[in-house]
Amino acid sequence: MVDIIKDRTIETPASYAKNFLEVKRLAHQLKSINIAFLSSYTSEVLNPYIAVELSRYGYFTKNYFAPFNQFEQEILNQESNLYGKNPDVVIIHNMMEDMYPDMVSNFSKYSNSKLDIIACQVINRYKAILETLRGNIKASIIIVNFSMLNSDEESSIYSTIKQRKVQYIHKINQELLLLCNGISDCYTINYISVVLKLGLKEWIDRKLYLMARIPFSGQGQMEFGKVLAKTVYSIDNHPCKCLVLDLDNTLWGGVIGEDGIGGIEISENYPGNVFKDFQRAILNLRNQGVLLAIASKNNFDDAIKVFRKHPDCLIKESDFVAMEINWNDKATNIQKIAAELNIGLDSVVFFDDNPTERQWVSDKLPSVKVIDTPDSPMMYTQALHECNYFNFFSTTVEDKGRNEMIHQSQKRENLGANSKDLDDFLMSLDMTVSIKLSNQDALERVSQLTNKTNQFNLTTKRYSTTEINNFIELGHLVLHLSVEDCFGSYGISGVAIIKQQDKFSWKIDTFLLSCRIIGKKIESVFLSEIINFVKDKGASVLLGQYIDSKKNSLTVDFYKNHNFLLLDNDSNTWKYDLRLKPKIIDFIKIKRT
Amino acid sequence: MIDFNKLKQLMSDILEIDINNINKDSGSDNIEQWNSLSHVQLVMAIEAEFDVKLTPDDMFDMLSVKSIIMILEERVK
Repeated sequence: MVDIIKDRTIETPASYAKNFLEVKRLAHQLKSINIAFLSSYTSEVLNPYIAVELSRYGYFTKNYFAPFNQFEQEILNQESNLYGKNPDVVIIHNMMEDMYPDMVSNFSKYSNSKLDIIACQVINRYKAILETLRGNIKASIIIVNFSMLNSDEESSIYSTIKQRKVQYIHKINQELLLLCNGISDCYTINYISVVLKLGLKEWIDRKLYLMARIPFSGQGQMEFGKVLAKTVYSIDNHPCKCLVLDLDNTLWGGVIGEDGIGGIEISENYPGNVFKDFQRAILNLRNQGVLLAIASKNNFDDAIKVFRKHPDCLIKESDFVAMEINWNDKATNIQKIAAELNIGLDSVVFFDDNPTERQWVSDKLPSVKVIDTPDSPMMYTQALHECNYFNFFSTTVEDKGRNEMIHQSQKRENLGANSKDLDDFLMSLDMTVSIKLSNQDALERVSQLTNKTNQFNLTTKRYSTTEINNFIELGHLVLHLSVEDCFGSYGISGVAIIKQQDKFSWKIDTFLLSCRIIGKKIESVFLSEIINFVKDKGASVLLGQYIDSKKNSLTVDFYKNHNFLLLDNDSNTWKYDLRLKPKIIDFIKIKRT
Repeated sequence: MIDFNKLKQLMSDILEIDINNINKDSGSDNIEQWNSLSHVQLVMAIEAEFDVKLTPDDMFDMLSVKSIIMILEERVK
């Protein structure tokens, strides 16, 4: 990671140009990423801004800018430069002014039915290019949605035509969003929100627009570059899973141990509303699947009272999946939380108003992401939103349910403490495992699991939805597993990909279980089902490989423990003779579909 | 007086050419990198660095060092 540019203040086009030269010199130290930009205007002007902003995240971008207004040709023609550039990310941004100039300038003359036809056309054109693009390459796709800004007059706020325009564009954008949601690895940026950050007056430079068809000012280009860089970074990085929070002067104003429940600040009015607002932001994160935990130096009984008794405390005890409220040092507490939740320290984010605590945690646990908390609590929410550690894009249904599932899993562990023997305990869970051949509906979750799972993962191969889909089409065996027990359902939480080597042998390419279901002997059931599957296909040998990732030592003896024989020490490849009977776990019910 | 060195540095960064190759006779006709795209970038940079608002006509005319200096001297008063 190159830190030279990371925190540098760069505020003018000239300083971007200067820094861009430096970024190019440092390119070899940065992770390279290919971005292709398809747009109806001369988007090349954005190059230095995107490149410099992405270098702050550790990337060097090789940007390809297709000739303006040729997005369809570039995508539909298999031989085009676009495909030759092998992009990791494709950004598509077209202006309504360029696609339908007459409609934009003579909007009032267009009847509703004529407008509807155009709206339909726009969506159909996008549908065609998105589907073709998705079918041809596996790049992430970013769509910037529509606006009709350049034709706007300042005085027209009251005009009904202007209001109709806004509604019309809004309708098209809604359709576009629906369309994009149906395409895997496709994300949208709401253009007008970006413009609002700067204001329309600053956003447009008439001179640039009229002379070079560039739809934004220098200021606008800088802002847009930042947004695009952040988007690309978020897509390429795995979001953190857990937010560990301090209590005093973080979730409320004041110190509970000193001020008492009546003295702390949290209410509908200033200054208590500042903290209430921050709590709302935290709950929003929780609803998107981020796990919440507490690391606070306090007497447990004092602190917990706030969650139980304070009428304005929005966050409740049950919103946290772990609470370390004691006088131990916070690094130890954070380690304990991570261990309890079965997550790596690198997916933990720490928020504390006290700089000493932040420093301590940074020093002791360098992989924990420590938010540089602003002095004023009024800026807390913004700091949380701008930290980039959480992904705000696609939240699958599974993510939203993760909090509930973790809670259930804690109930399960409590039960474990009372059970004499592990098998007895597991039997008491009354587990049912369903194993399915993966299809379109499961692609997103299957790919997500290959990308997120570290501990119980024999090969740690990361796959996009497109890659998984290709495996299925090639006839490889892609299986996913879901589990239910007496406490509830864990959803899709295991994946296996088995590839045919030749007529008689198959090889396990991927075998993983989400950490939520580790330690229940589910892996043995999954493997025995795989064995049955390949036997049915006429195989006599099943191969497996273990690839050490530093995080998956849990599975190092997996093949050995399941009667595989070591075939090759160097590649850690194992072989299973399919004539052997697989291990039977009789207390888990199996549903095959 | 317009700071010529500042302008040269700006042009060198944006056009990606050696600062020593820029003089009062430089212009879009003898600097290959000075194309329509870098021209836009140059105009934006000049506006910010010299704190001026340029008109479409200015932008159209600013295709040489001489004319840039002439226009800037008129605007920066």
